[in-house]
Amino acid sequence: MTDVDVIVVGGGPAGSCAAITAARAGLDVVLIERGPFPGSKNMYGGVVYPRILDGLIPNWWEEAPVQRWVTRRSTMLLTPTQALTVDFRSQAWGAPPYNGATAYRPDWDHWLAGHAEAAGAQLITSTVVTGLLRAPSGAVTGVRTDRPDGDLTAKVVIACDGVNSFLAKEAGLYEHTDAKHFTLGVKETLALPKEVIDERFAVRDNHGVDIEILGGTGGVNGGGFLYTNLETLAIGVVLKLTKLGAQKARPEEIIAGLKRHPAIAPLVQDGELKEYSAHVIPEAGLTMMPKMIADGLLVAGDAAALCLAAGIWLEGVNFAMASGMYAGEAAAEAVRAGDLTAVGLAGYQRRLSDTFVLKDHRRLKRAPELVLSDRVQHLYPQMIANVAERMFRVDNPDPKPGLRRILAQERKRAGVRRRDLARDGWIGFRSFG
Amino acid sequence: MSSPIIIACLKWVAHPGEPHDERFAGASPADRAALELALQQAKELGGTVTAVTVGPPATETVLRDAVAAGADRAVRVDGPAAMLSSDVAAGIAGVAEGAAWVWCGDYSLDRGTGSVPAFLAAALGAQQALGVIDVQFAAPGPAARVTRRLDGGRREVLDVTGPAVVSVEGAVADLRRAGLGALRVATSASIDVVPLRSPARRLKAVVQPYRPRAMALAAPDGSPLERLRLLTDAAAATAARGETVTLAPPDAAARIVAALRGWGYLDS
Ligand SMILES: Cc1cc2nc3c(=O)[nH]c(=O)nc-3n(C[C@H](O)[C@H](O)[C@H](O)COP(=O)(O)OP(=O)(O)OC[C@H]3O[C@@H](n4cnc5c(N)ncnc54)[C@H](O)[C@@H]3O)c2cc1C
Repeated sequence: MTDVDVIVVGGGPAGSCAAITAARAGLDVVLIERGPFPGSKNMYGGVVYPRILDGLIPNWWEEAPVQRWVTRRSTMLLTPTQALTVDFRSQAWGAPPYNGATAYRPDWDHWLAGHAEAAGAQLITSTVVTGLLRAPSGAVTGVRTDRPDGDLTAKVVIACDGVNSFLAKEAGLYEHTDAKHFTLGVKETLALPKEVIDERFAVRDNHGVDIEILGGTGGVNGGGFLYTNLETLAIGVVLKLTKLGAQKARPEEIIAGLKRHPAIAPLVQDGELKEYSAHVIPEAGLTMMPKMIADGLLVAGDAAALCLAAGIWLEGVNFAMASGMYAGEAAAEAVRAGDLTAVGLAGYQRRLSDTFVLKDHRRLKRAPELVLSDRVQHLYPQMIANVAERMFRVDNPDPKPGLRRILAQERKRAGVRRRDLARDGWIGFRSFG
Repeated sequence: MSSPIIIACLKWVAHPGEPHDERFAGASPADRAALELALQQAKELGGTVTAVTVGPPATETVLRDAVAAGADRAVRVDGPAAMLSSDVAAGIAGVAEGAAWVWCGDYSLDRGTGSVPAFLAAALGAQQALGVIDVQFAAPGPAARVTRRLDGGRREVLDVTGPAVVSVEGAVADLRRAGLGALRVATSASIDVVPLRSPARRLKAVVQPYRPRAMALAAPDGSPLERLRLLTDAAAATAARGETVTLAPPDAAARIVAALRGWGYLDS
């Protein structure tokens, strides 16, 4: 006889969604969060894609704590003195069912956890799970917390404790972890009046902008982002850990450099620094994913390295919400069937494989490596920016050169080998095409 | 004989850094220390702890935390979020009558006036020791030797016997960490809700400093310059009022009062 049916560890997006589906299936669920409230300790860039909630919380957009609906999405390529932007705008994204939204994590996670509580899950905050309880067979039977009398037993434990999940590691589910699989995300939140943000980013009402940036990271492989909230901007960089260490670069100086870039400076000027935060991102996708199922244990969200970080996409919250949902459903299925072994919990793997969660990861398997490669980071941006500069430069009395000639010259000038370009192009096409 | 009741008063208040966000609200370190001392004293005396708060339903979170930490009973005196200290004290007094001891925090998170404990002691007719920085329980019976912080770095040591109202600073004790089982039970623990009692004697609040009434004076005569001098009290006018005297204190006080009366300041 266990204390409860399901223990969910971690009140992030994965944990709350796991608790919602498990509790709605009629299970006795406890959701344990180390912070004083869900989301209080959590950070991310700032854009969430919540369509996965359509089934879970119908008309979620009427109540979700959204800052702005993203109606402009730009991809910006920076060299020290140049910027090339592909800018897309859709008014359709500013109306139900929407597309992406900027939101603060303390608000978003708190809201989702409220739904878990409404579904009947018991939320326990300010409590750190310090380890797993195991049966002699090795099956997970509960968790140990840092509270007095802190052991709690359950039929299924769902580990949603975020990146570097020590629960998944303790259960032996990670075969190997390597610093090269992680990036460091750092972010500044800058306050500006709403009218100033509206004007600078050419948006109105509660419409907002998502700018993903390649380059501008001071020579450290990675990328940047700039998002609009109602009265703040989120500007940050995502940096390859191994390069950051090797170059002895300081992340705050890299953000400062990005903010000084001529294409960025006018957008963030006079922003008052409200918050500086940093967090590790599991960047390597499929390459680093652990086993997600063991006897009595499921792993979801960043804990299972399900964050999708593929250059123009940095999506973790939707993958966390989806995997959490599926973990909760699979746990309920196993409890009903009375089979709590990995076999009984296999419905989780099935759900992940049949949906975007693993399909996107499979398709974009090679994208993270490609995007963070030295060529994509250092050679191509310069080459492309130079091509654009020459295309748009009027060199009269010289006649306009043809694109093919410019391309060939700039490829050579950038030191890009034709073979590498073809290979990277093919990987890119296979991933994004 | 029934077991002694120890009261712990807790105020749920918004965090000053996040005044509009209930997620950061809670009890002050001083209130938490008060609860810890209540729990320790109840154990010494074989008594029970009643945690009390005054406010709307949202304030029940501090009571649930208190129950999780070990309080035997939780009472919410139903009232608005902002109230006069005397009214808060009257509300608590309704619950605390007959209690062996009442523990309060010296200040709440919003740094209120800290006057609730004094009003409460008055309402209960109990001893009071406010701004306490050290507590040594003196068994047997409800008694303690407490040290108060006074102005200028001075200290006062008092032997307090119950019934008493004692307010403590946050550093006096760390609230124990609630056990997991207790925390789970506390989320559904029943909370007694009692109506607010109005204070027996409402003190008239002083809302502005005393100001004497304006005096009606006849317009001065003379040239414009002379009138100006007189009206602005310049030169001669002030000289006439200034006076340095050497007198014994009672005579000096009488002289000051006489001068003020002469100038019309004490006319009502
Ligand atoms: C800089 C940066 C920018 C990002 N930008 C975006 C973006 O714009 N859009 C996007 O979709 N994703 C973004 N991500 C990724 C996204 O933040 C994550 O993928 C997502 O938060 C994963 O959710 P999760 O619930 O799995 O884990 P988390 O959000 O990390 O939640 C884990 C929870 O578990 C709790 N916890 C951990 N350990 C314990 C323990 N032992 N006991 C109890 N509780 C515990 C934590 O307090 C936390 O609440 C970004 C990440 C970073 C770092």
